[in-house]
Amino acid sequence: MSEHADKSGISQAFRWFDPRGRDVGTIAFILNRITALGLTFYLFLHLIVLGQLAKGAEAYDGFLATIRSPIFVFGELLVVAAGLYHGLNGIRVGLTSFGIAVPQQKKLFYWLLAIAVLGSLIFGIRMFTA
Amino acid sequence: MSTTKTKWTVNLKVYRKKGQKAPYYDQFTMEVDPDEYVLDAIERIWAFHDRSLTFRHACHHSTCGACGMLVNGVEKLTCITYIRDVVEDGGTIVIDPLRNFPIISDLVVDMSLFFDRMEMVGQRQVIPIAEEIVGSSQKAQSAGNGKEYLRLSDCIECGMCISACPIAATNPDYLGPAVLAGAQQSGLDKKPELLQIVDQENGLWRCHSAYECTAVCPSNVDPAWRIMDLRRQVTSQRFKRLFR
Amino acid sequence: MSKPKVIIIGAGFTGVATAHDLALRGFDVTVVDRGPIANGTSGRTHGLLHSGGRYAVNDKESAIECIEENTIPGVIEPNGGLFVAINESDMAYGEDFIEGCEACHIPIEELKPQQALKLEPNLNPNVLVAFRVPDGTFDPLRLAMSFAATAKSNGAKFKLFTEVTGLILNGQGNVTGIKVWDRTNDERYELYGDVVVNATGAWVGEITAMAGVDVPIRPTPGVMVAFDQRLTNHAINRLNKPGDGDIVLPQRQMVVVGTTSFEVQDLDYVPVIEDHVKLMLERGAELLPTIRNTNMRGAYMATRPLLGSGGSGRSISRTFKCFDHKETHGIDGLVTITGGKATTLRAMAEKTADVVCEKLNISAACTTKEVPLISYREFYRLPNDD
Repeated sequence: MSEHADKSGISQAFRWFDPRGRDVGTIAFILNRITALGLTFYLFLHLIVLGQLAKGAEAYDGFLATIRSPIFVFGELLVVAAGLYHGLNGIRVGLTSFGIAVPQQKKLFYWLLAIAVLGSLIFGIRMFTA
Repeated sequence: MSTTKTKWTVNLKVYRKKGQKAPYYDQFTMEVDPDEYVLDAIERIWAFHDRSLTFRHACHHSTCGACGMLVNGVEKLTCITYIRDVVEDGGTIVIDPLRNFPIISDLVVDMSLFFDRMEMVGQRQVIPIAEEIVGSSQKAQSAGNGKEYLRLSDCIECGMCISACPIAATNPDYLGPAVLAGAQQSGLDKKPELLQIVDQENGLWRCHSAYECTAVCPSNVDPAWRIMDLRRQVTSQRFKRLFR
Repeated sequence: MSKPKVIIIGAGFTGVATAHDLALRGFDVTVVDRGPIANGTSGRTHGLLHSGGRYAVNDKESAIECIEENTIPGVIEPNGGLFVAINESDMAYGEDFIEGCEACHIPIEELKPQQALKLEPNLNPNVLVAFRVPDGTFDPLRLAMSFAATAKSNGAKFKLFTEVTGLILNGQGNVTGIKVWDRTNDERYELYGDVVVNATGAWVGEITAMAGVDVPIRPTPGVMVAFDQRLTNHAINRLNKPGDGDIVLPQRQMVVVGTTSFEVQDLDYVPVIEDHVKLMLERGAELLPTIRNTNMRGAYMATRPLLGSGGSGRSISRTFKCFDHKETHGIDGLVTITGGKATTLRAMAEKTADVVCEKLNISAACTTKEVPLISYREFYRLPNDD
């Protein structure tokens, strides 16, 4: 008489990114997943870029010239921001997984977010003024 | 509650599903008292508008855990959720069944697997009072006649933590917050056999710290804290084993 | 020979306990309810496992039923109860209370004010005397499910969300089955049985009306209010004759104050009266003044199935009665059980099963006093085989 109405798999995975009606913990979780996906994507890009080395010095220099454009610099800033957030949230999750500061998890999130934003700003200023 | 105060007119948009037929939403425009509970309005739909509506309910004061539903997309124990807290006069309340459970009919979900797991970890419904207080080292309270006071546990097995959990959404094999919290309360020291149930891929390591279980829990169980405490216990056990 | 078939209408306390009893006695039992387990009065009951002290003065029959049955296993907080005197009128009632409890064999222990306050520090400091009784608190849904689970493990079938739309009568006007509507999939079908037991509590009149007869039932709702702090471990009763808001129960992280008494026409939806909610706070605070510092968690009502047509509300006995409609109205095949209270559910079931056995000329002894109940969770875990 009953039927599995919940579809597991891809369509359900979109719920990972749905913040509607959810609390701070979910925001941290969503950001963690997005930054994880972003960083993984960047890792592949990075390998492709390094692959340019195999084509010789000229090709690589030419490529380096293109990625000096502001769009690419902004992309790099995103990588820095994602790395900061993901690393700091990793510390938060690590701590709480040892049973440390579990009731303070929201406060920890706000702090790490503040540090990540501040860190990204500093990096951004340095990257765009260098 | 029935009063002579100002009544509100609200729309209840209710998830419907019968047998193998495709699900849809039914809309009921009703006069309500803002100080009524959402469950009162749902019960009135059944009493006066549509006798075919099915939903679970029993105690109407948050001790049985039967009436957990999604109210505007958020898990709520509808018997203690005021209408004024979820809608404004003229607005719409969307009622859905809990997520991550198979749907039997309308708002009724199949909880057999969940109850199976609760039994598996030996979650106790009646426990000594001192054991119910999270993170407390309070001494056992004597009832004066040599017996210890007992009480019904905070966990009412409403399943709302499972519904809110993003991990349970994609992995039906994940034991889930209430089950792990039940194991934590049963105690690895008292029930060592629980270790192999919780210390596995779909056990306490599957949690990804979204803390939604604790956010929606209507009953102060704090499943997230209990999962993390369980991790701490298991980690320290392993750590000690390294040096033996 | 196939087993005798019994259909039970209603999955409240009486229905599930009768299913448990009859399943043990070897019957083929099917329980139907228009909603889930304990969706009516049973689920919404106050949750006091009565020692009988509440009825020891004016309703001895019901008090004795309570103390005899006050041993329901499983999902209860067995912390005892106090009957508390706050004023002179309470003190005067105390004499009758002691006598009544003695007559009904309810064990009581007298406590001085200091002793009572030491046990329950949130008690009104003006307490004059307190009597300790073997009260308890139970979880209504889980209590019903324990009986249902045990019945199911012994072969009883449960058809929930299945509403009775009519009785099936044979040529002689006797009941041979029921017509039902499965609300989960919108299907209608018929069920046949040797006896149909009407265990619908306050709603029994709706079923008997389908056979064209009447039973003396007076549905009497009462309002209860839950507050969000556990201020006591004992059930606190006012030492006086039964009245509004004279019982405060601990339950999980709450206390629940109840109850009132009024009459209604439509049983399917009874509004919670705001004045009664206020009254519960007032009366509850006379017993536990700190209730005023808590927040309200939920206000609700339940409809008692009181027996009898004379009198009203509080004056009606809380005992129960089983009607064999062959004897009362010449209609065979239909038995109605109603009245009573949660504490006496096992006894109500025993009585009903005795009547069913007698009707079908079957001799099978009641074993529900000895057979332990299994975990309420088994109700969900056991398959629903048809």
